[in-house]
Amino acid sequence: MSSARFPIPQGTLDMLVLHVLSLEAAHGYAIAQRVQQISRETVRVNQGSLYPALHRLEQKRWLKSEWRRSETGRDAKFYALTRAGHQQLAREKASWDQLTAAVRLIFNEGS
Amino acid sequence: MTKLLNLFRRRRNRLERDLDRELRYHIDRRVEDLIKDGLSEPEAQRRASIELGGVPQVQEAVRDTWIWRWLDELLRDARYAMRSLTRSWGFTAGAGAVLALTIGANIAIFSVVNTVLLRPLAYPDAERLVSVETLWTNTGRASQDVSGPDFLDWQAKNDVFEQLAAYFGGNETPVIVGDRAVFANSAYVSAEFFAVFGQSASAGRLLTQDDVPAEQAPATAAVVAYHWAATHFGSDRDAIGKRITVYGDTVEIVGVATPGFRYPGSTDIWSPMRATAHAPNRSDHPYQSVGKLKGEADITRAQAQMRAIGDALAGQYPENRFKTATVIPLQQRLTGSLEATLWVLMSAVGVVWLIGCANIANLLLARAAGRTREIALRTALGAGRVRVMRQVLTESCVLAGGAGLVGLLLASLLVQGVVALSPANVPRIDDARIDATVLGFALGISLVSTALFGLVPALHASRLDLSTALKQGGSKATASRAGVRLRSVLVVAEVALSVILLATAGLLVRSFVALQQVDLGFTTDRVLVAYTEYAVRDDVVEDLWTRSRFYADVLDRLRNVPGVSAASGVAYLGMGREPRSPRDVYIQGRPEGRPGERPQAEYHAITADYFKTLEIPVRAGRDFDSTDTPERPRVAIVNETLARTAFPGESPIGQRIQTGTNRKAAWMEIVGVVGDTRWQDPSQPARAVIYAASTQGAGNSLSILARTSLDSQSLAGTLRTLLHDANPTVPVKFETMDELFDSALAYPRFRTQVIGLFAGVAVVLAAVGIFSVLAYLVGQRTRELAIRRALGARTVDVIPLIVGQGLRLVAIGLVLGLAGAFTLGRLMTGLLFEISPWDAGTYLGTIAVLGGAALLATLVPAIRAATIAPLVVLQQE
Repeated sequence: MSSARFPIPQGTLDMLVLHVLSLEAAHGYAIAQRVQQISRETVRVNQGSLYPALHRLEQKRWLKSEWRRSETGRDAKFYALTRAGHQQLAREKASWDQLTAAVRLIFNEGS
Repeated sequence: MTKLLNLFRRRRNRLERDLDRELRYHIDRRVEDLIKDGLSEPEAQRRASIELGGVPQVQEAVRDTWIWRWLDELLRDARYAMRSLTRSWGFTAGAGAVLALTIGANIAIFSVVNTVLLRPLAYPDAERLVSVETLWTNTGRASQDVSGPDFLDWQAKNDVFEQLAAYFGGNETPVIVGDRAVFANSAYVSAEFFAVFGQSASAGRLLTQDDVPAEQAPATAAVVAYHWAATHFGSDRDAIGKRITVYGDTVEIVGVATPGFRYPGSTDIWSPMRATAHAPNRSDHPYQSVGKLKGEADITRAQAQMRAIGDALAGQYPENRFKTATVIPLQQRLTGSLEATLWVLMSAVGVVWLIGCANIANLLLARAAGRTREIALRTALGAGRVRVMRQVLTESCVLAGGAGLVGLLLASLLVQGVVALSPANVPRIDDARIDATVLGFALGISLVSTALFGLVPALHASRLDLSTALKQGGSKATASRAGVRLRSVLVVAEVALSVILLATAGLLVRSFVALQQVDLGFTTDRVLVAYTEYAVRDDVVEDLWTRSRFYADVLDRLRNVPGVSAASGVAYLGMGREPRSPRDVYIQGRPEGRPGERPQAEYHAITADYFKTLEIPVRAGRDFDSTDTPERPRVAIVNETLARTAFPGESPIGQRIQTGTNRKAAWMEIVGVVGDTRWQDPSQPARAVIYAASTQGAGNSLSILARTSLDSQSLAGTLRTLLHDANPTVPVKFETMDELFDSALAYPRFRTQVIGLFAGVAVVLAAVGIFSVLAYLVGQRTRELAIRRALGARTVDVIPLIVGQGLRLVAIGLVLGLAGAFTLGRLMTGLLFEISPWDAGTYLGTIAVLGGAALLATLVPAIRAATIAPLVVLQQE
């Protein structure tokens, strides 16, 4: 994997967000930080597309939100996974595994 | 509705506020972190904003997700609704057709109401246009007729009008264009006339103060209507400078009005006039007056001021003792007589629509019952109550929306039908069309339809008790008590509404029949009327006598045409049918009495044989004859009403009378009494009439009447040739007396036809409603009935069970409907003739018709239920 930060592929942001939130509830800023930390700064999350994604996921009922006191003492909007969200994450992980496995298979075959 | 909107708005505001806070939190945290990393605050602010990609941009992107979700759900619901509607196409077609028809009819009638009553007149600042009128203080009535001197005083003394104009006529007048004599509607207007209406010329110029002729002089200029210029000269420009002869005066066309401007009525030619030219005194009222209020003057102030001016004139002149002045919005003046008819139509068509909605609500309920299981399943799977309601409502919405669209198309056809049926002189009705207001109405009525018939099943569905519904196994579920009650209420409402409509229609039909059976005092069949106008200058005596000879000559020749049994002439018969204003009558040898207290009578100049032509009986004395020449003493014939009121207990024959304003005219000796006639309006009592012999004066042009055994077309041809040979400059127009009389009944006929049609539709819809509900109930009771039959009940035992159930509902509806019709009857009084709004016969008829239809609708399902083989039903279980 290259050490340069690369933009995440289309459609995977949703999955990353769901994954981050499956560990614990968080607000938007924390999610952005967490994605970068976990990926060891290799992934560049476009912060501008994070919020529409959060709202979209919330409207699909995969996330729920509430206003809560944050670590700095200010109120922030915390997102958490719903049951449907957990199911969706499992589905997406499974199909991602299938896809990467398939791609690896093709690469190994060709080399 | 506003509540709903507010709810929506509040929710929206909360979403926006939250988003704002959320993004601000993000920026602030990022800025803090960046400052910790050693950036200056402004630099940190800048970086944070750039990283996010701009706060407004993010906000916009987030908002998109909100809208998408909403649209997405809507689309999904709509698609689902379409699917379920197309699956049961029978229901959809039936309900859709009923709805499209009733909505279409409503849109059609509304577009007429909108055009005629609601849409402002098509003149600039139309809301400031008013009719300034004479208010008769002895009768309390306002009349458009104004005297010349009164008008000039009004004009001089007021400060509320920007412009105040007088006009005269607008009636058919002989006009010579090139070598052709035609009828054209000609009006005489004061110089302010076009300014009042804010008009400009389409070609040439409009009339100015310089065009107004000097006292006694004829007009020399005229303005013509756009269409008239186009018809006779090809275009507006080509008409300028052309000379035409309007009632004997040769004028030059100096201008053409803008297309569509025809006021008053459907005027073709406007000539300038002096407001005292036709009547220099205060007791003749030939003019009408229109004004444009100043911008800051409201109508109340104008009314107060004109009243004060009128009152002052009343104190100043004895002729004005019973007069003052008043101001009425022009639109109200033009449409006042129509308002009642149109609102009755609108209400009637609205009632039909309500009945249609009740029917569809019933059908939807039946459908919902069939889908109980489906909805229960959805609820069990987690669909919220609101979600289920929304889905059922979407279905109604799709149905109503589709029906609204079809209705709109239907309406554009129906409007033409209504316009064709409507009386000829309804102002602006030809302009009836689908405009923005009508589209709004169509949208509104579709939405309200949805609410009316959609909410009932939607609420019903959302209140479903899950466990019972699933246990009962769906479509076989028995009717819930609430469901049956709801359906019964709908049937009762339908019956009640139909009763109201049917009773109204019944009253109108009966009153129309009564109108047609009124003894007019004359017979209308087989009489041909020829309107002619022989134009002469009133001050050229020689011409007047030439005209008299012309008519005498034509009548002589007409009497010799084989098949003509009687022919005569009358001055201005029925032209426009405006009532002749009555004149004071003076009797020789009696005190004159004070103005307003003298006997009054209409004045008609006729030739000999007029009574024979129209078969008006001569009660006493004689008809006019050839001995009644100008050289002989003046004679008159009066009708029975005048004989009775002016000469109670004595014979009027031999008495001498005088009428009109010219007291120097010769006394007329009464030589005959004839039967009463109802000319203008058969619903009004006969008026007092004085007939004078036209052969003794040199008065007017005549309308020629001929009683004939011939086909009226061929006689018209003969008469046309005859007139043309005698004088080619006299235009002629034909009508049969039947047609003329028919037009007097145009309004009642229009009302009766349209409401009768609506009532018929209402009864059919109500019968269908009763039928469908009973069929449903019978279906629910199939098992019970089968058991009864199996236990030995005979067909005759079962039928009354079902019929009784149906008729109970019908009876409640009938009682409620009759109560409603009784209450509303009062509003109908003005539209009825010789029939009380509480006419027992009509109500009995209504009960019979509706009861009959209801019985039929209940019998069919009852018989079906009673003839079912019990074994088959019970085995199915």
